[in-house]
Amino acid sequence: MSRGFSTAIRHRRLAGVLWLSLLASALVSWFPLKKLFQPMDEGAFREALVKGWDGWGFLSFLVSRGPEIGVALAAVTGAFIVFALLQIFLTGGVLRILIDGRPRPVFARVVAESAGLFKANLWATARFALTAGIWMALLVAVPVALLGKLGKDAPPNTFLPDLAFWWAVVVGAVVLLNVGLRFDLARVALARGDARNARGAYRVAKQSLSGRRLSGIRIVLFWLALGVAVQAVFTSAGLRINPRTNSAVTGLLVFRQFGFFLLAMVRVGFWAALLAWEERRRPAYSVIGSASGGTTWKSSEEIATSAAASASPETGSSVTTNGSALLSS
Amino acid sequence: MKHIAFAAAATLALALPAAALETPRKIVDYDIRVSFDPETKIVEGSETLKWTNPSDAPVGELRFHLYWNAFRNDRSTFFKESGGQLRGDKAETGKGWGYTDVTSMKWDGAELIKGARFESPDDGNPDDRTVLAVPLPRPVAPGETATLAIAWKAKVPKVYARAGYVRDFFMFGQWFPQIGVYEPAGRRRRTDAGWNCHQYHANSEFYADWGDWRVAITLPEKFVVGSAGALVDTKTAGGKKTLTFEQKAVHNFAFTADPRYVVVEDAFDPAKDIPKDEIALASRTLGRSEAELRAGFHKVAIKLYRQPEHGAFDRRHIEAQKWALAWTGLWAFPYPYAQISIVDTPEDGLGATGMEYETIYTTVSLKWMSRWPFTRLFVPETVTIHEFTHGYWMGLVASNEFEESWMDEGINTFTELVMVDRKYGTYLELPPGIGVTNEESNRVSALTQDHDPILSSSWKYATENSYARNSYPQPGTTIQQIRRLLGEQAFWRAFRGYAERWRFDHPTSEDFFDFMRASGNPVVAALIQKTWYGRGWVDFSILTATTRPDDGFTGFDDADKPVNFDPDPKKKPPEKPDEKKHKGPWRSLVTVSRDGDIEMPVNVALTFKDGTTVKRTWDGASGWIKYRVTSSSPLVKAEVDPERRAVLDRNPWNNARFTKKYEGPSAAAKSRTYALHLVEILLSTLWGVL
Ligand SMILES: [Zn+2]
Repeated sequence: MSRGFSTAIRHRRLAGVLWLSLLASALVSWFPLKKLFQPMDEGAFREALVKGWDGWGFLSFLVSRGPEIGVALAAVTGAFIVFALLQIFLTGGVLRILIDGRPRPVFARVVAESAGLFKANLWATARFALTAGIWMALLVAVPVALLGKLGKDAPPNTFLPDLAFWWAVVVGAVVLLNVGLRFDLARVALARGDARNARGAYRVAKQSLSGRRLSGIRIVLFWLALGVAVQAVFTSAGLRINPRTNSAVTGLLVFRQFGFFLLAMVRVGFWAALLAWEERRRPAYSVIGSASGGTTWKSSEEIATSAAASASPETGSSVTTNGSALLSS
Repeated sequence: MKHIAFAAAATLALALPAAALETPRKIVDYDIRVSFDPETKIVEGSETLKWTNPSDAPVGELRFHLYWNAFRNDRSTFFKESGGQLRGDKAETGKGWGYTDVTSMKWDGAELIKGARFESPDDGNPDDRTVLAVPLPRPVAPGETATLAIAWKAKVPKVYARAGYVRDFFMFGQWFPQIGVYEPAGRRRRTDAGWNCHQYHANSEFYADWGDWRVAITLPEKFVVGSAGALVDTKTAGGKKTLTFEQKAVHNFAFTADPRYVVVEDAFDPAKDIPKDEIALASRTLGRSEAELRAGFHKVAIKLYRQPEHGAFDRRHIEAQKWALAWTGLWAFPYPYAQISIVDTPEDGLGATGMEYETIYTTVSLKWMSRWPFTRLFVPETVTIHEFTHGYWMGLVASNEFEESWMDEGINTFTELVMVDRKYGTYLELPPGIGVTNEESNRVSALTQDHDPILSSSWKYATENSYARNSYPQPGTTIQQIRRLLGEQAFWRAFRGYAERWRFDHPTSEDFFDFMRASGNPVVAALIQKTWYGRGWVDFSILTATTRPDDGFTGFDDADKPVNFDPDPKKKPPEKPDEKKHKGPWRSLVTVSRDGDIEMPVNVALTFKDGTTVKRTWDGASGWIKYRVTSSSPLVKAEVDPERRAVLDRNPWNNARFTKKYEGPSAAAKSRTYALHLVEILLSTLWGVL
């Protein structure tokens, strides 16, 4: 955890890049939003809305501006897709920077490193979506459907319907955490160069996970909870601020962006913590690439020290031409 | 002419309370014995019906409602109108079908059922089986009471519309062969006597005569039964029990059975449960002493039949019930019955939810609404208040829902919004005050295009949406508009006057309007004409609002002398004076418009930069009005209807304009900033996954 916090602070520029990607994606919807709300300065509710939130003003606005709202929602969907693609793209670069350890310069490096890893990361994401879908169907949809059949004649809010609900929530979360963690570790493997493609990376991730899934999930949960807390604090504070002047609105904008920047730092912290966790299993030396693709050697000081402290270092005898084989021995 | 007519109406209204009934006129008497098998859903029933001919004419044929034949097959009028889907719940065809078959009907020993036939007076549907016409061997003489012995067999439908079963939950509404209404001449302003017995429609079911009920229900012992009546006898034998209930002076009898019910009992005590500020307000507004208002109140037993997992809602329903008993008692008249039963339907039987029957109704509890932040989503309370108050609008003031559904749902929507907003304020209030009131949620209807007048038979509206709009929110909002136009005192006195006059009687729309028009307000009379009988609407707006420096006179005067300009063409024209430095005076022009065909007076407020506001009242009779103002300070804002009294206004957003001199903060900037943050929050959730 502490490694995550210290890295997040050291790599705040990296967090800045993530925050910028969020803001830039959100701005995709900016013009439709601007156009949607422009009439608010013309209408009868302008002063009421500046003071607070006029219920009737808002309700009548929503009812009478259907087409504009439709356009804005389409733009938000666009922003969502842009942001999703940007995150798939950027994660590779972020991981490379963190592995490398040099906090600056950051922007050009993130972009360059991301570009190199993008294709593999895209495949890894597709595989994540597919496996998440399959496991969800097998472990959530099918049992819930079975429970539904069993409890067809059971009154609502009794054992079987409740079990179906909680099964969906808990098992769904467990599936997502597991599949997500392996996806994350696969992307780490790609960034480290432990594998050249998504398939290999998933194999490395599997070995990295074996026997210590729980501790990995704990890391994910901790940083997830931290992110939710940051989000909640800034959202409720943002609502309470209720700016009543133009400059207060600008102030709110800045304040809230700071909140999103902190959230980006949490994201960086999570990756750093995950990298540290993953290193505990790493040998002092690792082999990159497959036999057919030629052998490249890479050693990292940082990895060596941490590995020496936490895991039993392995020596030449166990080195093979395939990184994953090494770990499974 | 108009005014003379209004004066006559006022006199009539004053004379009307004398005609009010202390008890309803008893036309029917039902003694019913019914048993049902929860496994097969088969019901066996027999009833002794005493029916009195209320008219001056002999009646040679009887008409009966067989409501459950609406669920007989997909050819019923009900099924065709609803498409097998009502209020979000879908019909389960197959084993879910239900029916009612009258197997025997005897009068003076003669079997009448052989000559009986089905009628479809509303739509001529040859396949509808919900109205049974029974020719008699001899007419029932005026005032004569015919005693009929009826036997029937029925199957309970799977609940999707009001009545039916799900698992072991049973709601018996409109469940027995019920005689239609033979209206004497004069009833509901009709000229000739005749049957008023409509088919069961997707949107309406209530209109019946008053009488007394005695109902004996036989069913397995494990069932808990709640009904419209008081339990007078219990017998058990062989794992079954027979419960006998009685209720006098109602026009409807419903009951429910479910082994899972937990019965919560409480009582409305007028000494404790009438809020002091509410009775003080009613006393001031109605001009009656508090003692007089308290006079008719008495204790009312409250029984809540609830699902075992809905304990969190006990207080919520009972508090809402007590408030509704207090409010209706003050602003209409005190509830006359000794008890009220509230049925909490199971969450998989929502088709039965939110239904009114006399002295018993169904309400809703959804478990998730017992958790934060939904504890402030007052839906259970609203449904309880709404359904109970139907006991007044259609129940005690027994309108004909088939023909005038607004008198049932619309007046009820109005009283609901008053009651709910007074007690609960806004729904789901989040900081900083995000939430809407019940009134506002109903007022939305005024913003939308209409296709029908409010007044129409429930099955004759253009679309299902048009029925809903014109039966619920639009009449509710239009009554609210009448209230704003008449003022509190005149409106509530007329409203209570209507309720008291028509208690235990059958009013028609015009009877309600008579009270609303009684004070002689021509705007209200015209409003009623335009909205209940037409598709009237109104939109007030500020068309223009400009302000500019008044620099005085320029040009040639009468002596051809140039004033404030130099006629020399070689000279450069003088620079325009800087508006910012202008000390006054200012000339402003404001154009206010009224679109649509409803006329009503509104205020127009002109606000100037120095903070002064000038208000003028415009009668709204013409299409537009212009205000030209010369002032020492520039105009910053012009607003029509600043008090928001024109609740029917189709577009409230165009009610104000700001001039260039307005320097207030931007609401658009604030809103789009929040919107941007909302988008960022939404996007950043991806960081939890990707
Ligand atoms: Zn209703």
